[in-house]
Amino acid sequence: MSLNPLDTLFLLAGLNLLAMLLIGQWRGAGWLATLFYGAQLLALFQFDPSQTIQHSAFSIQHSTLALNWQFDALAWLFAVISVAAALAASWYGAGEWLRKYTGSRRLLHSALAGNVLAMLLLLASGDLLTLFVGWEATSWAGFLLMALGGGSGQKPAREAALKYLVYAIAGAMALLGALVVLFQAGHSFGFAQAQASFATMSAPLLWSMVLLFLLAFGAKLALLPLHLWQAPAYSETPAPGAVFLGSIVGRMGLFALAVVLVKLIGIEHLADLALPFTFLSAQDLIAWIAVLTIILPTYTALKQNDARYLLAWHGIGQGGYMLLGLVLGTALGTAGGLLHMINYAATQATLLMAVFAVMHRVGHTDLNNLGGLVARMPLTFLALLLGIISLAGLPPMSGFVSKWMIYSALLQEGRPLLFVASVIGTLGTILSVYKLIHNLFLGQLRVEHEKIDEAPLSMLIPMLACGLFAFVTGAAPVLILGWVAAAQDSLGLPVLAYTLGGVSSPRASLDMLWVVGVLFASFGVGAVLFYGIGGKTQRIHQFDNYAGGHFLTGEMRYHYSDNFYAGLMHLIGGWYRGSFLWLESAIASGVSLVANAAGGWYRAVSPGFYLLAATTLLLAWVLL
Amino acid sequence: MNLTELILELVLMPFVAFVIGLGMVLMMRKIAARLQRRVGPPLFQPLYDIVKLYAKRTQTSHGMVHDIGIVMAVGGYIAAETLLPMPGMNGIAEKGGLITLMYLMMVPSLGMALGVGQCANPNGSIGIGRALTAMLAYDVPFVIVVFGVAWHFGSTNLVSMIDIQQAGGISTWGAAQMPLLALAGLFTLHGMLGKQPFEVYIAPAEIATGPMVEMSGKHMGGLFVMQSFQLYTAAALYVTLFLGGGENWLFFIAKCFAVLAVPVSLAYLFPRYRTEDMLRLMWKWPVLVGLVGLAFVMR
Repeated sequence: MSLNPLDTLFLLAGLNLLAMLLIGQWRGAGWLATLFYGAQLLALFQFDPSQTIQHSAFSIQHSTLALNWQFDALAWLFAVISVAAALAASWYGAGEWLRKYTGSRRLLHSALAGNVLAMLLLLASGDLLTLFVGWEATSWAGFLLMALGGGSGQKPAREAALKYLVYAIAGAMALLGALVVLFQAGHSFGFAQAQASFATMSAPLLWSMVLLFLLAFGAKLALLPLHLWQAPAYSETPAPGAVFLGSIVGRMGLFALAVVLVKLIGIEHLADLALPFTFLSAQDLIAWIAVLTIILPTYTALKQNDARYLLAWHGIGQGGYMLLGLVLGTALGTAGGLLHMINYAATQATLLMAVFAVMHRVGHTDLNNLGGLVARMPLTFLALLLGIISLAGLPPMSGFVSKWMIYSALLQEGRPLLFVASVIGTLGTILSVYKLIHNLFLGQLRVEHEKIDEAPLSMLIPMLACGLFAFVTGAAPVLILGWVAAAQDSLGLPVLAYTLGGVSSPRASLDMLWVVGVLFASFGVGAVLFYGIGGKTQRIHQFDNYAGGHFLTGEMRYHYSDNFYAGLMHLIGGWYRGSFLWLESAIASGVSLVANAAGGWYRAVSPGFYLLAATTLLLAWVLL
Repeated sequence: MNLTELILELVLMPFVAFVIGLGMVLMMRKIAARLQRRVGPPLFQPLYDIVKLYAKRTQTSHGMVHDIGIVMAVGGYIAAETLLPMPGMNGIAEKGGLITLMYLMMVPSLGMALGVGQCANPNGSIGIGRALTAMLAYDVPFVIVVFGVAWHFGSTNLVSMIDIQQAGGISTWGAAQMPLLALAGLFTLHGMLGKQPFEVYIAPAEIATGPMVEMSGKHMGGLFVMQSFQLYTAAALYVTLFLGGGENWLFFIAKCFAVLAVPVSLAYLFPRYRTEDMLRLMWKWPVLVGLVGLAFVMR
């Protein structure tokens, strides 16, 4: 019997997990896992993304219910990014990083391998029941990775992971509820049957289904107001875990929303579904949730003083761009949303790896106690620079291309407020990433950091490779637009007509090959003007300076970092009211009050009474 | 168009923009001088200043990022000029469009911010913090204007916007069709130039010229070149969006100088706003005017 590529992929992922469970404690296990991820990536490239659906030989059948797995272009796209992120994360943590790691290696490696396997099972779901199983597996595997951070108090990883678990279980209940309703309607969990059921569903029922799915999958994507758990849960885990979680795991929510909202329900159907007593449709509602998810977490990121938290909050915001693009439903918008998922994975992986490299050398990522590291870690600086330009969505990086597509789509659809709101998110990102690079790498180098070394090669290679990927796919988007177009096709969306350098249409054109070419030629001219003409520059030491009439010394902190945007905070500082924290704690208090009351009542009254009451009610229900 | 012609345009456009920009620097200084009852500098003073700064014997650098920041600041604007059509030259304007230009114009600012950050002077960092906040202030009305204009012309292609305005005459100019957006745009332009009352990020008496505090010699010369480009870019973009672009060189240059003269003349009549006051102002009046204008455009 010959294995098809999907079976090979599952086999490799399973073997990887098994190997890590058995020999994960071994010092070379990180390299072995990296090889396994490399092999999985190779197996993925045995597929042709534009081909028809490929089924796994493996399936589980019980009476009328079956679990079966298959791959289409959308699943393939997410799988490639997931496995590539795991490859980068594993490589990053396989060398010198692992030698300094004090936690359980077996647990770390197994958790990462388990996550990849669970995510592949989810992505390959052939029907909604399999999707539910995959969703649960992914949630629990994610919990394992988040809980690795451990600790309490100053390191709230475990608490955040538990909070995530509460959101995940609530989401799972919502999903189960939606599936039960759907099964009632069509007596099947198959995609085709679900599509037919949605098409004939009454508006109130469809609304409740949309809300249930948003609750279920939105928690993972950290859509407002379900976003509070993500930043601490993602930030505190060990570096490879944080890189993997930050770059792709949350996007499983986007995948599931794409399957349910776009493929099964359909964007036109959502646009027709009116929100009662308003002029909004379900599509508008989701777009506004996405835009609020862009703005509020981005401006929360602006206030962070820990580099990891700052990036994690941006991760939540960038998820909003992806959903916004996707829910627009046009060829340009959905392509932008899906492309942003790819670009952002590479960008965030680069940024997190650079920040964790600083942590590896310095021991912390507190933005108020660093500075000037470019002198000691120039290559890490370069990686972070590539990352922030892409995150801010400026040319020549790939983050610009996907955001350009989303903006252009909003323009063409005539959505001014969504457009302005999403640009406000980008502006906040620019402010925030400058603070990040300034406080870490620019300005005064602290005396205690004068002797630190550049990050080790094992960490630099994946970091720079991800940064380079984000650059190359920015200059030549054609390299990945084919994948995006195939995924659009498999979702039943209009397919983007792309060119070598981007998009060409009368309403909006972009040719990144030219833009990037001219930009770099211009930098070349700028360099010739600077270095070639005029007097010779002389490098001076950072303490060859004076402040307030005194010469500087190492003891004098001369680096402006705290309350970086004081003028802005003077105006908008009062707008940070912690409303969502209040909402979350209010819900938590409410639930615990009800639980305590029920528990108290149970203890106060004899259990025999409950038995009697339950029997009476049951009898009444049977008889009536 | 063949490749040689295109490459010639790509070389000529930034050069011409720089020369016009130098003239604009001169005009700005002349207006300031006349308002303050001085004579003002001679014709070639901006050029002399650049030559002087580049030729200085003492050239201090605070490290590679300090230098690269200046390269990015100048290079970014050189690239931006090729996206902004001039009479008879379109460069790569049709391969980018308005949104690309808007974002490309942020690359020089980022370069300058990196260079200043490397100088390890808190006055510089505070200045950049304020400058980026100012960008957040004026870019909100600016994107409203961008949306309205692109919606009105049905495209983000600057070349086709100019074609539409020139084919229809003055009554089809952006300023005639969208007067409220043109007003909001003028407000935005003023903020973008960083002139009084919006120059709190320079504030010489308070933070010792902010971003420029550690800049001297070639670094300062680079920033001077960047300013020339910046004046030209802002004015030419406004002319492209609202005043029909350039039918010929004479009209084009006249329009650009006239547009720039408005904020520059107003500048010296005002005291300086604090950062939060600038935010408040920019997020209130131009945004309101812009949104009303947008409502008219999209009705």
